[in-house]
Amino acid sequence: MTTTPATDLSTPVPSERLPPSVRRGGPRRDLSVMIGGQGGDGTLTVSDLLGRYFHEQHLYVYTARNVLSRIRGGHADASTRGSVEPVWSQKASQDVLVAFDDEAVRIGQAELDPEGFILGDHGSVNEGPERLYLLPLSMTAASKVGNGLYKNTVAYGALSHLLGFDEAKARGVLEGRFGRRGGDALQKNLSAFDLGRTLAREQVGEHPLFRLEPGTNTRSILTTGNQAAALGFVVGGGRFFAGYPITPATPIMDHLTRWLPTFGGVVRQAEDELSAINMTIGAAYAGARSMTATSGPGLSLMTEGMGHAGQAEVPVVIVDCQRVGPSTGEPTRHEQSDLFHVVFGSHGEFPRFVLAPGFPSDAFELTVEALNLAEKWQLPVFLLLDENLSEYTQSSEPFDLSKVRIDRGKLLSPEALAALPVYKRYLFTEDGVSPRSVPGQRGGMGQTTGNEHDEWGHVSVNPENRRRMMAKRLGKLERARADLPRARIYGDERADVGFIGYGSTYGPIREAQRILSGQGVKSRFLQARTLWPVPTDELEAFLGTVQRTFVVEHNYTGQLALLIRQALPRAPVLSLLKYDGSAFRAPELVKRVKEARP
Amino acid sequence: MTETAKPTAPIWCPGCGDFGVMAAIKRALGELKVPPEETVLVGGIGCSGAIHNFMDGYGFHSLHGRLLPTAVGVKLANPKLTVLAIGGDGDGYAIGLGHFVHTLKKNVDLTYVVMNNETYGLTKGQASPTAPLGFSGNVETPFDAPLLAMSIPSSGFVARGFSGAPREAGQLITQAIQFNRERRGFAFVEILSPCVTYNDTYKEWREQVQNVDTVPGYDRTDRGKAIAGCLSTIASGRIPVGLLFRPSDERLAPSLDRTLLPTVESAPATAEISLDANRARYEKLLAGLA
Ligand SMILES: Cc1ncc(C[n+]2csc(CCOP(=O)(O)OP(=O)(O)O)c2C)c(N)n1
Ligand code: SF4
Ligand SMILES: [Mg+2]
Repeated sequence: MTTTPATDLSTPVPSERLPPSVRRGGPRRDLSVMIGGQGGDGTLTVSDLLGRYFHEQHLYVYTARNVLSRIRGGHADASTRGSVEPVWSQKASQDVLVAFDDEAVRIGQAELDPEGFILGDHGSVNEGPERLYLLPLSMTAASKVGNGLYKNTVAYGALSHLLGFDEAKARGVLEGRFGRRGGDALQKNLSAFDLGRTLAREQVGEHPLFRLEPGTNTRSILTTGNQAAALGFVVGGGRFFAGYPITPATPIMDHLTRWLPTFGGVVRQAEDELSAINMTIGAAYAGARSMTATSGPGLSLMTEGMGHAGQAEVPVVIVDCQRVGPSTGEPTRHEQSDLFHVVFGSHGEFPRFVLAPGFPSDAFELTVEALNLAEKWQLPVFLLLDENLSEYTQSSEPFDLSKVRIDRGKLLSPEALAALPVYKRYLFTEDGVSPRSVPGQRGGMGQTTGNEHDEWGHVSVNPENRRRMMAKRLGKLERARADLPRARIYGDERADVGFIGYGSTYGPIREAQRILSGQGVKSRFLQARTLWPVPTDELEAFLGTVQRTFVVEHNYTGQLALLIRQALPRAPVLSLLKYDGSAFRAPELVKRVKEARP
Repeated sequence: MTETAKPTAPIWCPGCGDFGVMAAIKRALGELKVPPEETVLVGGIGCSGAIHNFMDGYGFHSLHGRLLPTAVGVKLANPKLTVLAIGGDGDGYAIGLGHFVHTLKKNVDLTYVVMNNETYGLTKGQASPTAPLGFSGNVETPFDAPLLAMSIPSSGFVARGFSGAPREAGQLITQAIQFNRERRGFAFVEILSPCVTYNDTYKEWREQVQNVDTVPGYDRTDRGKAIAGCLSTIASGRIPVGLLFRPSDERLAPSLDRTLLPTVESAPATAEISLDANRARYEKLLAGLA
């Protein structure tokens, strides 16, 4: 891309230098704004403010962030999309880039729409493409608000003019965010906002460059998958949580720390993930609905505990917010490469379920379901999230309490226990699940153990007992099938193009379907929600309705595709993989589908 | 009465010190009249860690080194329970050492009994963190867990007994459980428990143990003096036993479960979780999101 010296501020921008769309000042129905700078520049704040404004304009919102695993310094950017039509992923290109330094221009312009423009901070941004306009954001913040840090709110003010925001509503968003802080934070932000608007008006005149149309989406809430999982845990009766800080799982612990104690619950930050999983197991054994949440490295440390819960038949929920691995990998970046670990990890063989929500309200529902299934089947249940689903704020269906139900399975009340002539913790039963007592109850004593054991919980190496106990535990995988969350199917009844995916690939796949449909291509998408045991029947039925199926996932080896092929050896599935740390965007999926040979 | 699992016969070698420890624990629970259904015994992995199989109560066999987090989870889920974590020196001071220090820091109302035999009994006699120089090729100087425990600012009950003196050991465990029941914090009791098969130390230990009550000037209520008293006892070739450290009540760090769950009635395991009972508050929580 050619670069030119930045526009001189002393003279107004000559109108012939404005891109055609800008001259048109055309209405937009789908707009994305990226803000880039150094960590600590407040880029995320601007992104949040824009998201909130779009939300209040009843648009569908999707925000994405690209931050390094450090607090200050290093490039950081965030993008916020507002759209009249439903969207669930990042827009393919940015309409506006706000750059606080040259690096932000360099990195951001690769994503800039041909009709987009860059708003640069005069004094920090020195060069860029033709469509770079400079405003003295930080200088104004420093000289007129008294602190250069307010440059982000100056930028928000400038954007509010350039994009034709409703001024009162845009101010209202600031008030909502800073009003509660007290002190002069709100006053300073409001004056920074006004200064930003004035700067923009002086540059481009009264008329905004774009005008984003308001939407009609009055139902949605703004949330993240992590927040949804935390809420699902609370309303699903979860009362004990232990975790150890790790990106991108930490917000689950943060939310629960705030909410759970008021419901008689306990949240503990453990000394490591070994402790977190074993505390969770201890609390679950004692009768509390219990969960831990982690990401790759922490999951590796929890691995021995996973099998322990399976063998001892203790109901726990383990959330894995996947990020780039192995080792420390890229802590803040996106990947779906832990599937094999949650399905096969830990020595020996034991039953477990792996559930994978695709969007926040799905995460809410499946967290409740995970708690139920764990207790009903007395085993570990994994809730598999990924970085984008965990962390990216997006519009979501409101969380629906009316769908919530609590099923504690064969947990024995003191009365039910007293009525039993004999209590055996590992009683052989038809469905492989034994009635369960918890400590404190009379008549329910016995051993809960990771050693192989007989029905009483006594250690046993008897071969016949071993065979029966293995069948009792592992058989849960087959016997539970009808209980497990069903996949969701979207699109045409019969289609040329089939998609299978889980987690946040939901977004780009659904948007790709919209593009394909506009091009007259029929498509059908199976959003897998139970990944283990592999939902063979659902997959088989689905495969019968599509010509070619693409399994979309974020890893190198095609883990989900491998699981599908293992269950259905002749399944004609092709992998669409991405493993560069970023998520698919819809047009990219469409392109990859078209490139794939028939 | 519902019939439940009976304790199994101990699998320990005849003469193993762990018999004495079990007798001491049983005596303590009996003396305090703790109902077995309210007793949770969390075992580690090792000869010692199998103890819950041989006793009445709710037994949980945890992973090697992970008995303390498990026990903490149990206690925080239901603080009404009397929780004992019981394991070996390898389990607690090697693979589980991080949890040991952090459980002292957490200060949860549970008793941790370590049967120290200076070796890994179950895996056939390797050197443990407390093994003396020269034992089984050991070239690392052993450490002393009660001294370590006393160095943690929140510790409030540190004791050492000898399974060759089960009455005294039993008294220490009684005091420890009582300490928990009064919600004063975490209690740590190491019991010297000879492994007759791989490290038969009965004779030496019988000669070496010295109750700190008989050490002139020993002050168990003062952290610095208690540590100094133990160090000088060790320097004189003796092993300090008895209640080594127990500051006055007002100097005890707050217990975690008492801080988090001041009333034991509504705790994670016993909280009312039905939707109906919580609906109004859930709705309010969800409304905060819009
Ligand atoms: C993760 C793990 N590593 C190793 C082992 C093998 N192992 C079982 S018991 C034990 C040591 C036991 O020593 P100690 O805790 O002192 O108990 P003792 O048998 O002496 O009572 C080891 C290393 C294991 N069970 N788990
Ligand atoms: S090997 Fe040692 S510690 Fe284990 S039971 Fe035998 S004597 Fe006791
Ligand atoms: Mg030992």
